[in-house]
Formats: sequence, structure tokens, C-alpha cells
Amino acid sequence: MPLIVVGVNHRTAAVDVRERLSIAPSRMADTLDELRALDGINGASVLSTCNRVEAIVSASAEDVIEPIVDWLTQRAGTARAELEKHVYILRHGDVLKHLFRVASGLDSMIVGEPQIAGQVRAAFLASRERGALDSLLSQVFDQTMRVAKRVRTDTGIGEHAVSVPYAAVELAKKIFGDLHGLQVLLLGAGDMGELTAEHLSAFGLEQIFVANRAHDRAIELAERFHGQAVKFENVEPYLASCDIVIASTAAPHFVVESDHVHRALATRRRRNLFLIDLSVPRNIDPAIAGIDGAYLYNIDDLQQVANSNRELRMQKAHEAEEIVEREVEGFRRRLVAQDAVPTIVELQGRLEDIRAHELEKCLRRMGPMSADQRAAIEQLSTQLVNKILHYPILQLKEADEPAERETLRKTIRKIFGLR
Amino acid sequence: MSPNLTLYAALALYAAGTIVALATLFTREKRPQHVALGVMIAGFVAHTVWIGTICVRTHHPPLTNLPEAAGFTAWLVFAIELALFIRYRVHAASFFVYPLVLMLLTLSAVVHDPFIKTPAGISRLFITHVFLTTIGVAGLLIGLAFGVLAWAQDRALKTKNRGALWDWIPSLNVCKTVSYRALAIGFSIYTLGILAGILWSYRTTAGLMDLRVKQVGAVVAWILFAIVLQAYISDTYRTRRTAVIGACAFVAIMVAILGIHHA
Repeated sequence: MPLIVVGVNHRTAAVDVRERLSIAPSRMADTLDELRALDGINGASVLSTCNRVEAIVSASAEDVIEPIVDWLTQRAGTARAELEKHVYILRHGDVLKHLFRVASGLDSMIVGEPQIAGQVRAAFLASRERGALDSLLSQVFDQTMRVAKRVRTDTGIGEHAVSVPYAAVELAKKIFGDLHGLQVLLLGAGDMGELTAEHLSAFGLEQIFVANRAHDRAIELAERFHGQAVKFENVEPYLASCDIVIASTAAPHFVVESDHVHRALATRRRRNLFLIDLSVPRNIDPAIAGIDGAYLYNIDDLQQVANSNRELRMQKAHEAEEIVEREVEGFRRRLVAQDAVPTIVELQGRLEDIRAHELEKCLRRMGPMSADQRAAIEQLSTQLVNKILHYPILQLKEADEPAERETLRKTIRKIFGLR
Repeated sequence: MSPNLTLYAALALYAAGTIVALATLFTREKRPQHVALGVMIAGFVAHTVWIGTICVRTHHPPLTNLPEAAGFTAWLVFAIELALFIRYRVHAASFFVYPLVLMLLTLSAVVHDPFIKTPAGISRLFITHVFLTTIGVAGLLIGLAFGVLAWAQDRALKTKNRGALWDWIPSLNVCKTVSYRALAIGFSIYTLGILAGILWSYRTTAGLMDLRVKQVGAVVAWILFAIVLQAYISDTYRTRRTAVIGACAFVAIMVAILGIHHA
């Protein structure tokens, strides 16, 4: 039974094409119904993210591809020839490899990004809830999620941050471990500082204090983070109580100096202080990096962390590709063997009937004989049947292409007179 | 089952686990570390059986001579490491803990000391002394291991050079906290153990202590660990001086353990 993917992604289509095809979660059930209503489709799922829209189907034959492309064309509201420039079509083993790669984040714009696994899961679950998955697609879905998990666990591909704000979060975790209950001081209202504070705030911070020369802006930002605005002139006491300081002001001079940090650390009693300077010109005195218990990272340091993590991800991606290749091969073999099972069982039953019938006739003709002699003849007949069955079964289990498998299956059924 | 059989089984498994862990620690691959841990845990099970067999056969805890005390210390060190692994998922401590456990158990296997059978030798005070000292030493050794990790993590963060161990070492806070707690608890118990030893020595030889290797080693280690602990309390553990004193404390404690043989 063919597996087919028809879709567009960030590599084949620009955003204006993708947005026309994208499906809102509220419209997913209707979309699945439409797709399933096409002739020859047994099971269907639709993956719609900001980077891709794909119809994943199991069908009785490959001739469903054309109607699926037509359906996509209709959805995009464009000329078919125009859409065809962006559409890719994958079949059988390529579908498995594609799905395993997509769910593992290997086909993502940012390689290894973790969100895609959840999006693939959600797409399949929506299809399952709608009753749109047949047994084959269900198995493919379960295996896809297993492979995605294995890739993440074995390679750690998504463990390291590849953007500056996330690099800051990663370093904060390396210093403090759990970020719950920590306090952050945000100095200035620069975009990068705001973004970093936003990422940090997702990890259960106790409080964010915001200080800005324009106090109104500080109040506005503090409200956004459910934090507290403080006067820029009065920030020094907050250095002692906050664990992370993010500086992102437009000031042309240092706003945090060594003396401030020395005084803050003296009252912090063995608690470390993480300072993130995202400003250019720098706002935090570089000499602070030399103070025990203070960890200072500027924008270049964080960029370097992100770059080196990106390189690491590419190395991990190679390992992940090897895992995917092995998994595709293993799963494909399982599917082929599973597909051949009914024919094999029927074939074995047919030959066993012939064997038992002919053995009975033979034994009747031969007359009385010892138990050993009878056993020897029975064994001979069984071995003959097994030898005859060996190659047909092997061929059925190893036929790669569905078309080849189908031809083989029909031939064997015809030769052996199976129903 | 022969106690020697389980001892050698534990030794072989610890050796295999240590080799795998150390050989793959810098590769950043998780699977070999998990395999190494699995093998070490199998060794720990055999080790536990060995200790249990000794208890059953001798009717007292395995603390009466050097092989037993070294074996029991190794068992405790690994048990604490395992508990910390479950809590913090720290693989990096293996660089210190696994070889240490292997070394202590090898000591148990190669040194042959007679059991102490005199009533004084197996008195409650003596057992208390060895038991507390052993637990204290295990705590101090784990404290040292995590102290090294805290130092390594601090260096990596300060120099911005993450190095190959970056992924294996937990956060600086965890390293510091575990190290400080293990040192503080280990030091307290070790102190009680030494006091019990002094009392036992007084009762059996009518002297508070004499200048035998194990006693000198134990007292020197106590002083050095006190300094290391003070460095943690005052947050000056990052200095080279503390590293050197920590290393000396480790040597002193090993000398004290080996000194049991010459008691």
C-alpha cells in the first residue's frame, strides 16, 4: 500500500505561497475530511506549520497524487502550473525518511529545533481523533515519534542554544541550575535585552526589575513582564538582590562598574552574579569579569556561544542522519514483512493441506509400518514443503517496491492456486 | 557463594565500567557513559553481596581490617555517587569516583589482613569509630570530587572556553552545593569518628593516640579538610591554594587508610 507525501516547505516555496496553503487548527478537521474524500485514499494527515504544509497519505495506488495536487491548487487559489513549481512529491521509503527527518528537526530552518516534533505529533493526533488514520499511517506515526525521540536522546541535537538570547539562558542555567526563584535586573530597553528577559522569564523567575532612563518605558516593560519598574539612579541596591543583570542601554559609558559589583557580592554571601552586557558601547565594566563570583558575558561572547553551538548541531545532525537511515531501513523491512504475512500464512496453509492429504494417501498405500518409519516419512514431507516454501517467502519478505511486491504476490497466489 | 568470587566479580565490573567511562568522557556521547554506569551498578550489586556475605560469616560489620574498611569505603562512595547521579544526573564525577572506587576495592582484593578477633578489637566503640570514620571519609571524598567539578565549571565560565566536559558537568550552583554539603557532613562525621577512635585507643592502650601512620594521616587529613571546608564557607574555594590543600587532604586520607594495614 503506497505511502505518499505531497507538500511545500521553506526551501521550495516562499512565505506568500506557504501562507495560502496553511491551515488553522480550527479548520484542520474539515481539511482532513476533504482530503480523505478523495478517491483511493485510505488514511490521511496534514502537517501545517509556518515552514511547511504537507499532505501525508496512505493510498491504494499512486494515482491519488494528481487529485491531491489538484486539491492543493484549489486551496492555494492559484494556477496548477504555478503551484507545481513549489510542490514536492515523495513516495514509499522516501516518505519514511522524510517524516523521520522532519520530526527530528533535521529538515527545519534551524536544524535541531525542538518545536517541530510537537507539531508533527499534534498533526497526527488531530488525524487520529478525526478517524483519518488507517493502520499503516498509525504505525508510521508511532515510529516517527519514536525515531524523533531517539534522535534527540542519542545525539542531544536540540540541547544547545543557537541564538543570543537563548545562549544567555543556557549560561544562566549553567551557573544557577534551576532558574526558579531568581531575580533579574534589566537595565535599559534595548530589543535584545527585552528578548533575553522574555526568554528568561519563561523559566519561573521570581521577579524582573526594569530600570530605564525614560521611566515611562521602564513601567511599560515591567508591566509586560509582570515585574517592577525602578528608577535608573537607584539601581545599585538591586545589584545585590538580583542574580542576573542584563544591560541594554544606549549610554556611551559604563553603568555598572567594578565597585558596584564588589559591594553587591559582599552582601550576597556566596551567591553568584551573572551579568549580560548586550550594549554597544558596553555598559558593564569588563574588569568585572575578573571578580570571583561574577560572570560577565558581552554580546560577542554570547554570539560566539551561539555560533559554536550551531557548529555542534551540524555535527550532531550527521549522527542523526545515520540514525534516521538505520531506522528507515529497519521499519521498511518490518512493513514489507507485515504486508507479506497474509499471503505467507495462506501459502503455508495451502501446502500443509496438500502435504497432509498426500501423506495420508501414501501411508494408506504402504500398509503397516513401525512408528520410526512413519515419523521418517512425515519428516521427509515436512522438509520438502519447507524447502519449496523457502524462496517464495524470502522473495515476498524482501521485495522493496510496492509494485514489485504486488506483482510477486499475485504471481505466487496464481501459481499455488490461492484464493 | 564464596566472598572472593563476588569480590572479584565486583572488581572486574568496576574495572570495565571505569575504563569505558574514562575512555569516552571527552567524546560527548551519552550512550557509552550510560553503559559504563550500568556496568558500575552491576559491580555495585556484586560489591553489596560481598559485603553482605562478610557480615553473615563474621557476624560483625566489615570494618575490622584494611581490606574490609577499604571495601566498605568504596561501597559507600559509590552509593553516595549513585544517589547524587539520580538527583543531579552528573556523569562527570565518574572521572574521580570510579577510579577511586576501583582503587579502594583493589586494595581489598590484594591486601590480606587477619580479622581482629579480640574482644577489644570488635568492641562497639571500635566499630563506631571505624563506621563513622568510613562514612566521613566517603563524604569528604565525594565533596572533593564535586569541588573539582565546581572549580572546572567556574574556570569554564570565566574563561568562556567550554571544553569537552561542559556537557557532563552540572550547574556551578549544584557542584558548589553538593561539594559544600558533602564536605560539611563528611567532616562532622569524620570528626566524631576520630573522637571515637581516640577514646577507643585510650581504653585499649591507655593512651589517647600514638604516632602511627594511620593516626598521623587521619589527623593531618582532618586539619587539611577543615581548611578546605573553611575555603567553601568563605567562598575562596577557587584559589590555587585550596586546590593544593584539597589534593594534600586526599593524599593524607589515603595514607591513613593504607596505614590501617600497619596498625
